[in-house]
Amino acid sequence: MSQASLSQATAPAGQQEIPARRRTRLGLRYGRRLQLIGFAFVLPTLLFFAAFKFGPMLWAVELSFTSFDMVSTPDWVGLENYERLAEDPVFRASLVNTFVYIAGSTVLIALVGLGLALAINTSVPGARACMAVMFLTNLMPIIAVTLVWRFLLHPFGLVNQLLAPFGVGRMDWLTDEDLAMPAIIAVTAWRFAPYFMVVYLAGLLAIPRDYYEAAEIDGAGAIRRFLHITLPLLMPTIFFVVVVSALLSSRIFLMPYIMTGGGPGDATRVLSMLIYETGFSYMKMGEAAAISVVLFAIMLVFTVLQMRIFMRNERGLA
Amino acid sequence: MNPAGAAAPSGRTQLLALRRWAGAALLAAIAFLFVLPIVWMTTTSFQAGEKMFQLTTEWIPSVLHPENYPNALSRADFPTYFLNSGVVSLAVTAGNIVFCTLAGYGLAKFRFPGDRFALLLILSTLMLPLEVTLVPTFLVIYNLGWMNTYQGIFGPLLVDAFGVFLMRQAILAVPSDYIEAARIDGAGEMRILWRVVVPQCKPALAVLAVFAFRDSWDQFLWPLTVVSKDEYRTFPLGLVKFGEYYGNPPTEQMAIAVLATIPVFLLFVALQRWVTRGFGLSGLK
Repeated sequence: MSQASLSQATAPAGQQEIPARRRTRLGLRYGRRLQLIGFAFVLPTLLFFAAFKFGPMLWAVELSFTSFDMVSTPDWVGLENYERLAEDPVFRASLVNTFVYIAGSTVLIALVGLGLALAINTSVPGARACMAVMFLTNLMPIIAVTLVWRFLLHPFGLVNQLLAPFGVGRMDWLTDEDLAMPAIIAVTAWRFAPYFMVVYLAGLLAIPRDYYEAAEIDGAGAIRRFLHITLPLLMPTIFFVVVVSALLSSRIFLMPYIMTGGGPGDATRVLSMLIYETGFSYMKMGEAAAISVVLFAIMLVFTVLQMRIFMRNERGLA
Repeated sequence: MNPAGAAAPSGRTQLLALRRWAGAALLAAIAFLFVLPIVWMTTTSFQAGEKMFQLTTEWIPSVLHPENYPNALSRADFPTYFLNSGVVSLAVTAGNIVFCTLAGYGLAKFRFPGDRFALLLILSTLMLPLEVTLVPTFLVIYNLGWMNTYQGIFGPLLVDAFGVFLMRQAILAVPSDYIEAARIDGAGEMRILWRVVVPQCKPALAVLAVFAFRDSWDQFLWPLTVVSKDEYRTFPLGLVKFGEYYGNPPTEQMAIAVLATIPVFLLFVALQRWVTRGFGLSGLK
């Protein structure tokens, strides 16, 4: 018993029993065979990622120190690409825009998703139907989303028509420097919040009903119940939603590319767009690789956070 | 407690019922705002071209123009674009189902040296999307001679870390006893996977199928990078090219947008029974 619990404490959940028990019954060779089989199942995926993820990333790092352009023989230029980027106003603007976009859409998605999930979770009549209907936004191809919203946000489009009765004058949503980024962030939330609504709902449903009943008996109002039961118990889910939507929004390309083309000026140009333009419109692939390394560094931060949640959950399971 | 309590209960239940219905109305209003753009897309696709930006949107067109659909399809080679998208998306979906299930099984039910490292390695690819590795991945495909081919488009998308993680979590929940029992009965590992593990992972597989299909159906930047010939364009590329010609009526663009939404929608509806059960898995656990 104590041995069993010891092995459970050191090994991740659910996997440790088979080899341990087998080894004593059928000998070490059988355990070894199982190890090989397990590894063989994972190997194709590892090889795939070596070829299409890790290999290319290492290559990107190498390219970022060269003047690679597919035409002339590449020169080793050291940090020149990075130095040029540091002084390039377009790169700086794109970097800032990327951060603004990540922060804006992550916060909006996390809040709207939570609000929607809480509303659905009240089990008012028709809640399930509303959930299903809202989830539709998530099934629409992003290209369709961008084309539809480009029309809706047109100066004579539906959004302005609907706002007119409230005394809002004509807004140039996508061509005004101060409005374009918020507009794209709002469209992003429209597309993705309903998905995270479902993730939140899974988290909300996992909170035991007794807690609320006990709190109600103690006379805690709805707001106190939310602040002292729902919020703390939902914290892991909220953290998960924030990290995943941050990763998601770091790679945004299509929405600004179609809706504003990065404009007006550079107001909505983000790093992924700059990578494409630098590498494939101007064929400066070394410089594009340097931008890739910067974008990678941003995503690294969120991925490390993601891993930490993951590790904590694993420990929780064991 | 309350001396006048006789009247209070019915008043209170009435108030509660009122609040319930007010809540329902509010939620319905919010849901309506969320679907409004989708409704707009659909009605606009049946609208006469010149009515697009009239100040009062006609929610139910007085005259339906279903000919927007065939007209839109014939403006550019949309049948081919949709076919290309279909081929690519089916390949990506199949690849993810196969590889993610294999890897998920290996990670969930086997211990081998470095298994945890393998899992972290796989999860770490979440920070290496195609947007980041665009230039070198393009060079890989270019050097393989896969420009303007299907495998060039779907190749780098065949396995996604999210899918591996999803399948691992689902397979962790399959009781190891079943697997051991099958093993003692002399079943091979592939047979165990197919007969014992897969049938218990239908919800996760349904979620994986819907997301893999939708995400590859959605791909834009990657095909834009590796496709230059019209006959290999996927529909998002075709749609953008189509939208750039100002002569093309917005109503017809919306017709294509509706057509593009239908396959994802149908797949979701077909798998909905399992997808709703599988959603718990796509979240934290």
